[in-house]
Amino acid sequence: MNSLSLRIFLFFFVSSLSRVWSLQATPRLRSIDRSDPIRSMASAAATTTKKMITLKSSDGEEFEVEEAVAMESQTIRHMIEDDCAENGIPLPNVTSKILSKVIEYCKKHVDAAAKPSDEAGAAAAAAAAAAAGGGGGKASAVPEDDLKAWDAEFVKVDQTTLFDLILAANYLNIKGLLDLTCQTVADMIKGKTPEEIRKTFNIKNDFTPEEEEEIRRENQWAFE
Amino acid sequence: MPSALRSLVAPATSENKQKKRKRRRRIGESPRQISSRAAVDGEEQHVGEEEEGDEGAEEGFKLKAAASPTIQPLGNLLLADPSANIRDRGLGTLRALSDELLLDVLGLLRGRDLAVLSTVSKSLYVFSTHEPLWRSLVLDELEGRFSFAGSWRSTYASVVSPLLPDQTPPSSLAVSNFYSDYLFQSWLCANMEMKPEWVARDNIERGRGISVDEFVARFEEPNKPVLLEGCLDGWPALRKWTRAHLLRVCGDVEFSVGPAQMTLRRYFRYADAAKEERPLYLFDPRFAEKVPEMDSDYQVPVYFREDLFALLGRERPDYRWVIIGPAGSGSSFHVDPNSTSAWNAVVSGSKKWVMFPPEVVPPGVHPSPDGAEVACPVSIMEWFMNFYEQCKTWRKRPVECICRAGEVVFVPNGWWHLVINLEDSVAITQNYVSKRNLLNVLNFLGKPNASELVSGTKDRVNLYEKFRNAIDAAFPGLINRLELKAQEKTSEKKKQSFWESVTDANAGGFRFSF
Repeated sequence: MNSLSLRIFLFFFVSSLSRVWSLQATPRLRSIDRSDPIRSMASAAATTTKKMITLKSSDGEEFEVEEAVAMESQTIRHMIEDDCAENGIPLPNVTSKILSKVIEYCKKHVDAAAKPSDEAGAAAAAAAAAAAGGGGGKASAVPEDDLKAWDAEFVKVDQTTLFDLILAANYLNIKGLLDLTCQTVADMIKGKTPEEIRKTFNIKNDFTPEEEEEIRRENQWAFE
Repeated sequence: MPSALRSLVAPATSENKQKKRKRRRRIGESPRQISSRAAVDGEEQHVGEEEEGDEGAEEGFKLKAAASPTIQPLGNLLLADPSANIRDRGLGTLRALSDELLLDVLGLLRGRDLAVLSTVSKSLYVFSTHEPLWRSLVLDELEGRFSFAGSWRSTYASVVSPLLPDQTPPSSLAVSNFYSDYLFQSWLCANMEMKPEWVARDNIERGRGISVDEFVARFEEPNKPVLLEGCLDGWPALRKWTRAHLLRVCGDVEFSVGPAQMTLRRYFRYADAAKEERPLYLFDPRFAEKVPEMDSDYQVPVYFREDLFALLGRERPDYRWVIIGPAGSGSSFHVDPNSTSAWNAVVSGSKKWVMFPPEVVPPGVHPSPDGAEVACPVSIMEWFMNFYEQCKTWRKRPVECICRAGEVVFVPNGWWHLVINLEDSVAITQNYVSKRNLLNVLNFLGKPNASELVSGTKDRVNLYEKFRNAIDAAFPGLINRLELKAQEKTSEKKKQSFWESVTDANAGGFRFSF
């Protein structure tokens, strides 16, 4: 074989190899849209085979949740996308009590976001119900207001649970829950006097009388 | 407080898993586009990170005058009784929250509630008087219409309650036994001075009186940075732009300062008094329109006169800025928008530059895969403290220099750069497109996510079309010629790697860039 045909042979041989190499080395693509078009057309009531993820709380309890619900947490989402979720996801920072609340929140918000096809039906049903009840005010409960009301009820918990939810939402990186819970604490401070704030959070006043007077003077404008 | 500082060294590596405060910033925005982003969002994303780097170098911080910390780092607690930390005692049930989360909550309060909160306990006093909280309140509510009163807290108070004497003292209460890494780090970065070893290195190439062709051949074409001397000699600005003169000419003109608009007079008043981690930076893209005299006080250095974006006339993206800031102000790592190149001329003062080539992501910086966002340490000081040492052992070291009055730095397109003012500085910078980076720019503008990445213009999606048409009209056939040339270059490179892979058994000459 002369050198030219050797070169041609090698060229094709090596370039075919390179195609194999490139296949192996291609970085795993992050699927941007994980929703299956067939699934999204199904109504909420229909049972379709959705992928389930197992979450393990710090006290050993296991929770099976739909993947879409679990992915409300950016932390979990990244783990799933990096293929670390096959044997369940351990969450050593979250107890079962808190985890079940978190899952409840995520499920509610995923369901609320996935209901556009039902909106017409829900609005019609709500309008009929309102007409029957002869109620004043809004004729139909707009889904967004519903969700807000649900959120408000959701955070009516004792302080320990509320703070644990903040820590969990931060750790799991769930923006909506973090915003909601932080705002709840802020609302517990708004408009209160110092003494009321101390009572709310069981805080001891550790200023000396002289210090307290100095601080008051500094912040006089806020008390007017 | 030497004891406070020394204790950073010993326990730091084992005890303190310090959360790196990260800030997300759009890569296309750079500091030139901070208008819609809050000035202080350092508490936004907190990612538990690996431990701090070598703390051994942290001994001997030089502090700014009259800086006395109220807050101590957690490491100091090892030398004291742990129950001495008044933080938890003064928070009650709120102690369950971490410092960052508690500050997140406080960030949702209005000024009045925050001030009331500061009278509840010593611990809450320390948290509630955290200056960045008050800075946000001032900037959000007052939009630049304020006269800085020594601290953000007193500034807010003086606006809300104008009857108060102007000298509302900033936090006058001396609180002891308060330990917090997060708040201490924040205080430290605000009150520290640049260490000499951080500004010592100067390895950039310099050029004086070189021809345009030489500049193109040696630097623009191969995309290398250079510091050019002597090309601002004709600028009236160099002798005219003293502070007194600027105040006379445009003291009451409003300039873009971070998310707000401030008059120059008010800005100087702020800059002289501010002791912050990230001082507000005056960065205005419309200075020439606002003050025509400034436009005639400078001219584009001869090397950068070819600017193809000029073909777009009024529809070109923002391209020139006047930059004014005190010592410590600057821009943390970013790549300039739209894949343009830039030049930065110092009129007065001096700037420290650290630059990395496009393919080397600086330590501590994390761009998102699509390039739309960048996560980086909150402040420039923090970057120097935690990451600068690392790159000394790298093979691809950064290009560094100090640029002084009368000098110009050329920033090639795609290069990461960080700039910090070492003293009060005034500078002018422009971004431009020449034939050398035209293809890069077109490429960038033509990307599918252009609407997010392209910056400096309201017309993001159409910019590609407009620009392309403008080039074709003014220089028909140019784009094709450049593309051909580029193709030749890449196929030459491919040929080489093929032969390399045939002859060298260890070759894996395929590079995957994401």
